Amino acid sequence: MENSNDIVIDVKGLRKSFGDNHVLEGLDLELHKGENIVVLGKSGTGKSVFIKCLVKLVEPDEGKLEVLSKDVQHLTEEDELNALRRKVGFLFQGGALYDSMTVEENLKFPLKRMPDKPSYGEIDDRVHEALKNVGLEKAIHKMPAELSGGMKKRIALARTLILQPDIVLYDEPTTGLDPATSKEISELIVEMQETYQTSSIIITHDMACARITSNRMKVIRDGVFKYEGSYEELKKSDDKWLMDFFE
Amino acid sequence: MKIVGSLPGSFQDFFINVAGIGRFTSRFFKQLFKPPLEWREVLVQAYQLGYNSLFLVSITGFIIGMVMTLQTKPTMEQFGAESWLPAMVSISIIREIGPVLTALICAGKVGSGIGAELGSMKVSEQIDAMTVSGANAFNYLVVTRVIATTVTIPILVVYADVIALVGSYVGVNIEGDVSPTLFYKQSLDILVYSDIIPPTIKTFFFGFAIGIIGCYKGTTADKGTTGVGRAANSAVVISSLFIFVIDLVAVQLTQLLI
Repeated sequence: MENSNDIVIDVKGLRKSFGDNHVLEGLDLELHKGENIVVLGKSGTGKSVFIKCLVKLVEPDEGKLEVLSKDVQHLTEEDELNALRRKVGFLFQGGALYDSMTVEENLKFPLKRMPDKPSYGEIDDRVHEALKNVGLEKAIHKMPAELSGGMKKRIALARTLILQPDIVLYDEPTTGLDPATSKEISELIVEMQETYQTSSIIITHDMACARITSNRMKVIRDGVFKYEGSYEELKKSDDKWLMDFFE
Repeated sequence: MKIVGSLPGSFQDFFINVAGIGRFTSRFFKQLFKPPLEWREVLVQAYQLGYNSLFLVSITGFIIGMVMTLQTKPTMEQFGAESWLPAMVSISIIREIGPVLTALICAGKVGSGIGAELGSMKVSEQIDAMTVSGANAFNYLVVTRVIATTVTIPILVVYADVIALVGSYVGVNIEGDVSPTLFYKQSLDILVYSDIIPPTIKTFFFGFAIGIIGCYKGTTADKGTTGVGRAANSAVVISSLFIFVIDLVAVQLTQLLI
């Protein structure tokens, strides 16, 4: 079913250390078009570092990193790197909404800075559509400080998707949310993936989120992907270390 | 590196900061000429920095002008040179006290504000969010703020000088009766080109230093709320130090050239 032409992210032998702390010790991953991979792992195992390497927010020490057929490490021209970044959405753990801007300005920000900037009318349409998709049209004039945790995540998701990226990287999308809101966000991720036809890597240790969103799961242990499979397959594992996640 | 490594911690930090600010400044000039320049954000920042500092600068300028007059008056009277008081005060204010004091106030208010704002944006990953959206975060956040401080602080200095002279006029008139026309004639007639232009030029450098150091400390803040506090605090300390160094260099250059 899957073939090599479908690969949108290809990572081989990715290594990253911070001083003596060897965080990633040779990660391999292939993300196929339309696929949702959940990356699981204990805190401090380098999950966020891994996805930050994919958009060059963190410079890896070694390894091959191809995103949408572009060699990320060799993208030295700022314009080329920014062009790639526009095709890769990134949802940050805390949402990272710009505090000094309204929801509307937050959503307009990336659109206004595209090289081929859309017209004002089109920008407005896209902002309204994005807010409608996450069910928060009424929050358009609010400041981030006036929003609840769940609303912030929804708006952040809308901002991430407004550039209509091919790939979305989610850094713990449900952290800090109550189980009900967490479920809503997980379902929204799946819905948005279907609407925008994106491929995703989702970093989480929320098993409910992993169950809802994943097609495939990979588990980081000791700096490498030690386990791989569907949610159900991993759940049936008799590995004590892995079982701790499902209990 | 070995020499720096053998120095006490505070000296090491100083040299590390100077090197970091040097690299940051070089990046600023590279980005400055790279379109698009966010003119709207420059205007927003300039307005906010100027408007928010206006009250503090007004009060301080007025008090300094008045206090200087009251402190100097008895000595001038002893020498029978009371009529020289407005001239002496205006030269002191325009050449030195106005620029340095206003710059120090702005280092405290504007520098710490920039350090804290960008520091909290760094810690909450807002700067990373701008970067991954394909926007030029450095242009939007740093270039705009540095241009704004470089342009706004000289305007605030000129304004503070005027207010300080008003304060001085009030000080002269507490126990005297000098008309505004006579006071301003005595204050301004003495001034020559070299009293006005060099001190005004150095205020652009003060503004630049405040902006670049605030932005540098903010964008390099450590993780956590303590990191934001440290960024704001060290932005004030380092920019105040730079203001004195720039002032010293400017005075020496003025004496050499004029």
